[in-house]
Amino acid sequence: MKKIKYFILTAAALALIAVGCRKSTQYAALIVTGQNTIDWQTSSTLLKQILEESGLFKAEIVNSPDAGGDMTGFRPKFSKYDVVVLNYSGDQWSENTKQDFAGYVKNGGGVVVYHAASSAFPGWKEYEEICGLTGWGDRSEKTGPYVYFNRAGRMVVDSTPGPAGWYGKTRDFEVRMRNPGHPVTKGLPVRWMHPDDLLFARLRGPAGNIDVLATAFCDTTGGGTGREEPVMMAVTYGKGRVFHTTLGFPSGDENIALKCAGFITTLQRGAEWAASGKVTQEVPPDFPSAAAISVRSNLKIRTLDENIEGLGEYDIGKSTRFYTGIQEEIRRAAGDKTKLLEIEKKLTELLNNPSATVEAKKLVLRELSWIGTDYSLPAIKKLQAVPELKDEADFAIERLGAN
Amino acid sequence: MKKTSTRRDFVRKSASALAGSVIIPYIVPSSSLGLGGQTPPADRIVMGVIGTGSQGMSDMRDFMRLKDQVRFVALCDVDAKRLASAKDVVDKTNRSKDCRTYGDYREFMEKEKLDAVLIALPDHWHGIIYSEAARKKWDVYGEKPICRTINDGKVIVKAVKDNGVIWQTGSWQRSQANFHKGAELVINGRIGKVKYIEVGLPDGGRGIGTPPVQDVPEELDWEMWLGPALKVPYRGVCHWNWRWILDYSGGQLTDWAGHHIDIANWGTGLEYTGPVEIEGKGVYPVDGIYNAPVEYDILCKYANGIEMRVANSSRLPKGMGTCWYGDLGWLHVDRGNRISASDPNILKEEIGDNETHLYKSDNHYQNFVDSVRSRKQAIAPIEPAYRAISVALLGEISMTTGQKIKWDPDKEEIIDNPTASRLLSRPYRKPWTLPTV
Repeated sequence: MKKIKYFILTAAALALIAVGCRKSTQYAALIVTGQNTIDWQTSSTLLKQILEESGLFKAEIVNSPDAGGDMTGFRPKFSKYDVVVLNYSGDQWSENTKQDFAGYVKNGGGVVVYHAASSAFPGWKEYEEICGLTGWGDRSEKTGPYVYFNRAGRMVVDSTPGPAGWYGKTRDFEVRMRNPGHPVTKGLPVRWMHPDDLLFARLRGPAGNIDVLATAFCDTTGGGTGREEPVMMAVTYGKGRVFHTTLGFPSGDENIALKCAGFITTLQRGAEWAASGKVTQEVPPDFPSAAAISVRSNLKIRTLDENIEGLGEYDIGKSTRFYTGIQEEIRRAAGDKTKLLEIEKKLTELLNNPSATVEAKKLVLRELSWIGTDYSLPAIKKLQAVPELKDEADFAIERLGAN
Repeated sequence: MKKTSTRRDFVRKSASALAGSVIIPYIVPSSSLGLGGQTPPADRIVMGVIGTGSQGMSDMRDFMRLKDQVRFVALCDVDAKRLASAKDVVDKTNRSKDCRTYGDYREFMEKEKLDAVLIALPDHWHGIIYSEAARKKWDVYGEKPICRTINDGKVIVKAVKDNGVIWQTGSWQRSQANFHKGAELVINGRIGKVKYIEVGLPDGGRGIGTPPVQDVPEELDWEMWLGPALKVPYRGVCHWNWRWILDYSGGQLTDWAGHHIDIANWGTGLEYTGPVEIEGKGVYPVDGIYNAPVEYDILCKYANGIEMRVANSSRLPKGMGTCWYGDLGWLHVDRGNRISASDPNILKEEIGDNETHLYKSDNHYQNFVDSVRSRKQAIAPIEPAYRAISVALLGEISMTTGQKIKWDPDKEEIIDNPTASRLLSRPYRKPWTLPTV
């Protein structure tokens, strides 16, 4: 695989340059943390990386004093930022800070309410309006109604008295888009699997200006609600826009819920929408679907070269994600001959590479059977003489009409 | 080809001539001489089954409910266990032990003399077996979708037409009152001129990752199951779940096209044509051996200006089913006898004598049997089935290429896109070839 690796290094360098040229950082983001019921250090670091990975944000992290500390001096300059990401659930802020924050939102500031921040600041009315739905901290029907969806897909606003906020054990669950026309969700799959997360349930209003973007089904195990619970909301407060996601519990060493391509994408898009009212980011090629989760171990989208390298090592029993990644690149080329030729060249290189596996070459031949040109034809023909690849090579040659 | 006289010729001729007034020599399949019953044995339709899986068995039982109008005499399946349990069912019904069984359809076709055959196979086998059955001059009850590729479909349609056999597609919704009524109201202009149709089909489900390779069960002829498809190791995925793998099927989209797209076409007179432009976008699993799209959203334009959107139901306001939108209102039909309209009074409208009356059947299986006897076309003939699945297959090509596809529905060719045109067929693994008819 030496040749491939060399190629990847060059391509990686080129890609870095390309990313550098692609977008200038447009928005300033502030991640507010310092106290939380979850691992706020790890999650804040990941949130910062996720935001910056989009190329749209420069993110800073500000830590509040520790629990029980003097909060009077904690007064971030919210107005300096385009979007404030709340990863905080702890001691109440000072009145001044609260006023600053509510004023910032009212005047058009963007906010992302992340995960456990749904439980912050019990009793602070403005905050509850900013979140749309909240839970825990002795909240009850006084906070507002339960909001959820029934199995028929209709939103239910339910004023039944009762406590606010519940979660079960971490698990994989399916997220279901409820407003696929919103800038944050537009173009994304309407159903997708999300791994190893805590699903919040029984959140309560005020629910004034909320648009529930997505829900997930909370089954009745261990006291679950049996309802489709909101997991992503868009809220307007004054002139401000709020993207509230209940997803992204940092757990174990892996923090899989935060590395889910679905979480990453919706957070990046939600933050852009909160900051600007629009979303310019494309749907990433690895967004999950109802069929399978999609995890980015390093928070980055795989490049074509990484997919090619991964495919070269494919064998029965291994993940097909590198192959499906290449198929997605082919779909996205949308018939562009230059892009298709670039992919064809890399696939042909795999066919000619003695260290690429037989199983990988079988998959390559399937793709070349229809995107192939004169460029790959000699390499394909050569494989007709290799017994274990003959069927696939014949398949490709016949489909290309080259026999 | 030398034509041998079959029992079906007798059935055909006795339907047109006065029964009993002419004596025609014919070969009686020995097994048709059943015991008792009200239908004289000679008038029974002698049938075989290729594919005794869940759909084949379900169809077979529906035919058995027609009592002694039909007698099953031979079965074929690559799974010996399924074959044995199907034989049990048939023998019990026939009160005999004579039902013959085959693991290889070629032997089945060579040895059996049948009036009709029920075929319920994975889609990748349809091209060969549907055309071969038609070439045998057997009438066919064939499961939808009728083909895995457009090219397979063309060959099948030609074989059925050239051989003059009766064909019934398993698009049984046509024989349901609500679908019939909805289509008939729409085709008679009760919602005005139809401009747009929405067709909601099921969402795709969860994948299973990449299961380990395992030993092929003793009862399964895996090589034969794969047939013309590329060879892959056995991973315990075969019956039923082949639907989620593109080598054999296009997923929910192609599974259901033969139902709700077929109904959409029926109500708008688009049964014998196809769209001229197709643009689709799919969501594909990022991992695992199930690789069919789990979401899809396809917009087609027809030459007469009608637009049809075919999408997984979660994307559509009315969910599953067919919804026609005309300039005077809309009408929606779905399974579970569902029918609704923008104005409920539309549903009370009667269709006058001088208006268009769509073919009426209230039992899809009886309709086939009647057609076999009368030689009159069945309610779900071959070409509409081909046109319905074509919409999905062209949508699949658009999703795969990421391009808008231009289609000539008369020549049945993709216009100006040789790369996409390659996806109109899937070459067969040797020694299998698609019959040329």
